[in-house]
Amino acid sequence: MNTRTSTGAGSSTARGPEIVARVGIALGAAVLVCFVTGLLSHWIQHPPHWFWWPANPAWLYRLTQGLHVISGVAAIPLLLVKLWAVYPRLFQRPLIGPPLRALERGSIALLVGATIFQLSTGLLNTAQYYPWKFFFPTTHYAMAYVVVGALAVHLAVKLPVIRKALSRPVDSDPDTPSASPADTSGHHRVSRRVVLVAAGLSATAATLAVAGQTVPFLRWAAVLAPRSGQGPQGVPVNRSAKAAGISEHARALDYRLTVIVGDQRRGFSRAELLALPQASARLPIACVEGWSASADWSGVRLRDLLAAVGAYRGGDVRFTSLERGGLYNSSLLPQRHAVDTNTLVALSLNGETLDLDHGYPCRLIAPNRPGVLQTKWLSAIEVLT
Amino acid sequence: MTAVRVLLLLAGLWLGWYGLSLLLDLSTPDLLSVAVWFTGGILLHDAVFAPLCAAVGIAARRILPRAWWAAGACGAVCTVALVLIAAPVLRRGHAMPDNPTVLDRDYMAGFIVAVVIVWALVVLAEIIRRRIDKGTPR
Repeated sequence: MNTRTSTGAGSSTARGPEIVARVGIALGAAVLVCFVTGLLSHWIQHPPHWFWWPANPAWLYRLTQGLHVISGVAAIPLLLVKLWAVYPRLFQRPLIGPPLRALERGSIALLVGATIFQLSTGLLNTAQYYPWKFFFPTTHYAMAYVVVGALAVHLAVKLPVIRKALSRPVDSDPDTPSASPADTSGHHRVSRRVVLVAAGLSATAATLAVAGQTVPFLRWAAVLAPRSGQGPQGVPVNRSAKAAGISEHARALDYRLTVIVGDQRRGFSRAELLALPQASARLPIACVEGWSASADWSGVRLRDLLAAVGAYRGGDVRFTSLERGGLYNSSLLPQRHAVDTNTLVALSLNGETLDLDHGYPCRLIAPNRPGVLQTKWLSAIEVLT
Repeated sequence: MTAVRVLLLLAGLWLGWYGLSLLLDLSTPDLLSVAVWFTGGILLHDAVFAPLCAAVGIAARRILPRAWWAAGACGAVCTVALVLIAAPVLRRGHAMPDNPTVLDRDYMAGFIVAVVIVWALVVLAEIIRRRIDKGTPR
């Protein structure tokens, strides 16, 4: 890895494997956090038969999705610094070369292309901006494997170089072994240490600019976050009643929530739901897009509601929305969430009647689940056997 | 280390192949759109962004006194990071008419404040560095 000698005019000796390896570790860690947290979210929404996701602690999904977006944002400046540090290698001769070299360059192209793809489309997705044709969740999921696969191949190839680079001080210079960081007056460059500091500071700045959408005490600094954390009753909305097209049905006088337990079936008006024993829970609502907010929910405990209809003998519970279209107009609640004391059919939020945009007349709120699975504008609840 | 490298290589090939096979399930128009964004990202970085940064860097080194290079470089990288993070929201405040809770800030004002703070810190860091340098006899 001789970036210094082979790159020709315009190259700066601030570049070098010492920088590449160190920034690369931070970037690799961020990518790995993104991958694991993204995979978790995918599995919660499309659970394989072996997958198990607990109902408690209630804040866990909020944490993993907050980390997903925050580490993705931090990865953007880290990627730029890393690419800057290896950029001259792009022009190394021969451009393609023998098969092994062609393969290595191909894997790097795949790694760089897939990483830029994931970070750019992921960032646009958090801002609900979709200037492409593909369906984002499916593509983001597939491309994540490409990134991690190419990263593993890249590590396999570079491991000896990385180990060597890490064993040397950042500002060491094999060409002039005596040069100390302070003695760089002859070099037309900033020190490598400064490059590392710049990478760290820019990752911090980028993180601070968005983290407040999920970390309440950083809300003041989140000047570029797509969500300020504000909204009706102090909670942001992802899908509005208008977008869902349910306003008329939700406000209808003959509204009934159908609850089916075994062969028992019963319809509840909102007044009948309010007449049942009420419970409350402080639970976060957390979105796949990385924003979250804690709120006080109150309503009927799901297990009390099921008991009012028939004996719940276990099994997953399906929640169906008044919304006819939409990808998330129904959800499946696993048994361990269904029996949790904090799982509510919510009727009010932060002390007020549930806003239409938050799911009036009633919605599901269960601990430790993605917001898209907390079905709003409920029309039916059915125990599956 | 050889064992680790072989394991990494095999795991990488398997994961990468799995991802590519999932992508190949997409419809042709979707796949074309993926290809455009994939190659577009590489080209935008390698052919536009990186040369532009190099040009700005060379120009800055000619204009700025040497003492300012370190702090200036940090400020520049932070500014670029903020520009990129701001790009999807900057001109899109209140872009969702049905949902005022998304894109609900004045992003231009926030962005300007953030960049001003970054460069104020750059100046502050340089002033502090000079004070420290004066205090330590060489």
